[in-house]
Amino acid sequence: MAGFREASGDLQLESVTKTFGDFTAVDDIDLHVPRGSFFALLGPSGCGKTTTLRMIAGLEQPTAGRVLIGDTDLTGSRPYERPVNTVFQSYALFPHLNIRDNVAFGPKRRKAADTAKRTDDALELVQMSGFATRKPSQLSGGQQQRVALARALVNHPEVLLLDEPLGALDLKLRREMQVELKRIQTEVGLTFIHVTHDQEEAMTMADTVAVMNRGHIEQLGAPAALYDLPRTRFVANFLGQANTGVGIIKDTDGDHIVADVLGTPVKILKSRSQVHDGEVLFGVRPEKVTVSRTQPEGAGNDVKGVVRDVSFLGVATSYLVDMPSGTTWSCYEQNLDVEPLDLRPGDEVWLTWNAGHAFGVPA
Amino acid sequence: MTALAHAAVDPGADPAAPAPRATKRSWTAYVLLLPGALWLGVFFLLPLVQLASVSLQSRYPGFPGYYYRDVNLDNYASALTDYAPHFARSFLYAGLATLLAFVVAYPLAYAMAFKAGRWRNLMMICVIAPFFTSFILRTFAWSQILADEGWVAGTLNFLHLLPGGNIINTPVAVIAGLTYNFLPFMVLPIYASLERADPRVIEAGGDLYANGFTTFRTVTLPMSMPGVLAGTLLTFIPAAGDFVNMELLGPQRGKMVGNVINDQFLAIPGGYPVAAALSFTLMAAILVMVFLYVRRFGTEELV
Ligand SMILES: Nc1ncnc2c1ncn2[C@@H]1O[C@H](COP(=O)(O)OP(=O)(O)O)[C@@H](O)[C@H]1O
Ligand SMILES: [Mg+2]
Repeated sequence: MAGFREASGDLQLESVTKTFGDFTAVDDIDLHVPRGSFFALLGPSGCGKTTTLRMIAGLEQPTAGRVLIGDTDLTGSRPYERPVNTVFQSYALFPHLNIRDNVAFGPKRRKAADTAKRTDDALELVQMSGFATRKPSQLSGGQQQRVALARALVNHPEVLLLDEPLGALDLKLRREMQVELKRIQTEVGLTFIHVTHDQEEAMTMADTVAVMNRGHIEQLGAPAALYDLPRTRFVANFLGQANTGVGIIKDTDGDHIVADVLGTPVKILKSRSQVHDGEVLFGVRPEKVTVSRTQPEGAGNDVKGVVRDVSFLGVATSYLVDMPSGTTWSCYEQNLDVEPLDLRPGDEVWLTWNAGHAFGVPA
Repeated sequence: MTALAHAAVDPGADPAAPAPRATKRSWTAYVLLLPGALWLGVFFLLPLVQLASVSLQSRYPGFPGYYYRDVNLDNYASALTDYAPHFARSFLYAGLATLLAFVVAYPLAYAMAFKAGRWRNLMMICVIAPFFTSFILRTFAWSQILADEGWVAGTLNFLHLLPGGNIINTPVAVIAGLTYNFLPFMVLPIYASLERADPRVIEAGGDLYANGFTTFRTVTLPMSMPGVLAGTLLTFIPAAGDFVNMELLGPQRGKMVGNVINDQFLAIPGGYPVAAALSFTLMAAILVMVFLYVRRFGTEELV
């Protein structure tokens, strides 16, 4: 039995696969997470996020592939040998220990000389110093979450894994904790791998987001980049809203391809389309679409539709517009004018967008 | 009792107004408690009072089997002095049986909770199966298994591993019988508490640098303590008062207190008051021990 493995550096997953029987939960994943970054693993429930985390923690061994931190290969080592700690989805606090002993558990096992001080500091960091002598069952969900975080952070792991840590909290508390987690990560400077199915949470917190679907990573990048230029249909729909339509690529026009979406020709920059012939899924984000009563001049990318619904949101107004193709588009207009467009359901409108904002992904 | 009467009468106090919700609910609670309270009153409290009164009675000199109402503490004096060795034996044997049952039951319960997989239900049935035959019959069976002609004693004698030459009619046989008979009462609560433990919590031990054994010692075992506590109580209490195992498996001399009580009640004319005093003393001693034990090892979330 090998002892504790000192390891430092970037986290790397190399062609990691995990199968349960004949079901592949994680399918040949490659990941590189730079040291000290806030990395989000985003995907719908059941896509393999927890399984991926468990393989990094050592609670599950990959069927194939390697897990490394820096140059140290951790594949096959036990959880207690890895410089990795987990904040479990259900917190998994020790019910028989009080809060202080819960947090001190890790340092005690590693016989840290300054266990008491580190425990105090960790409780301080998550603002739970006043609860040190309580039992976990005497805390609220949000407080337990903080304790679970302190219990992991106190060990200064090389990589901290958070499995939907905010999933059980109500919306307001979740927003607060998002800010709080981000603050803590900046303060301690550790690598955070944050698993979530909430795209807003992933985008607001993470430096890098990996979008996962059915055991593989669909796309990885900075939140803004993912939002701006999704490369798969799944990412386009999972990350924010997208107005989409399936088209056939008919032509090119300089830097653009021209696709025919149910009779309407639309342009997509070649550099922003993943496909250049055949079928394409055309997409444009709601806030990139302009709504007007009359056909704008010369824009080219415009479609006439019928307003279905108007929601006034204060800073903006959101419209749902029925398109001739039968789909419904969503448009988001900032209320910059004193007198906004006074549109009602049933009104005919023109939708336009800058061709440079459209994207194309495999249909 | 006043609360009961009050609550029962209250809804009718003002027939015009509908009874407020809270009153109605507490009334329901008392109704639901009633069968249990009646049962306890008739089958526990009443006999207990009767027994207490008997334990203080005196014999009519010259008329064995007849008593008169009295406050005769000699019965207790006799229980505490004449029968002190029997008490000591009872607690020693019951304690050893509890310890042995724990040693056997914990790994079994652990295996059932964490390792059995699809065999779990079968194992559960095996643990409960002995209850389908009578306690006495099973103990009789053990008296044959452990008999001098039986294969256990035969094998041990053949290997010269049995210093006394026999197992039956020794304290060892009694302790073995007690261990065997009360084992399910140890297994089931421990299994229940292990089974209820969140596997993620046990994994958290590993995640926080505790190896397998340390995780067991610092997480799994403490989390199953309510079950261990319940199991040891459910084993020790009946074992300390048991007389069947001693009767069927034990030696002629050096009986347990349960046998004395049994004899005083059934065999010795005029033994009722002493038997009752012995029963009360046993009950008090067990209560004190259980109290100290729970104080020492108990947790606030008992069982
Ligand atoms: N121990 C296991 N045995 C069998 N299937 C499992 C096991 N763990 C996870 N799975 C399956 O793997 C898939 C991914 O699970 P998980 O990683 O927990 O998803 P997520 O955390 O993204 O919701 C699910 O379909 C789940 O049923
Ligand atoms: Mg999960």
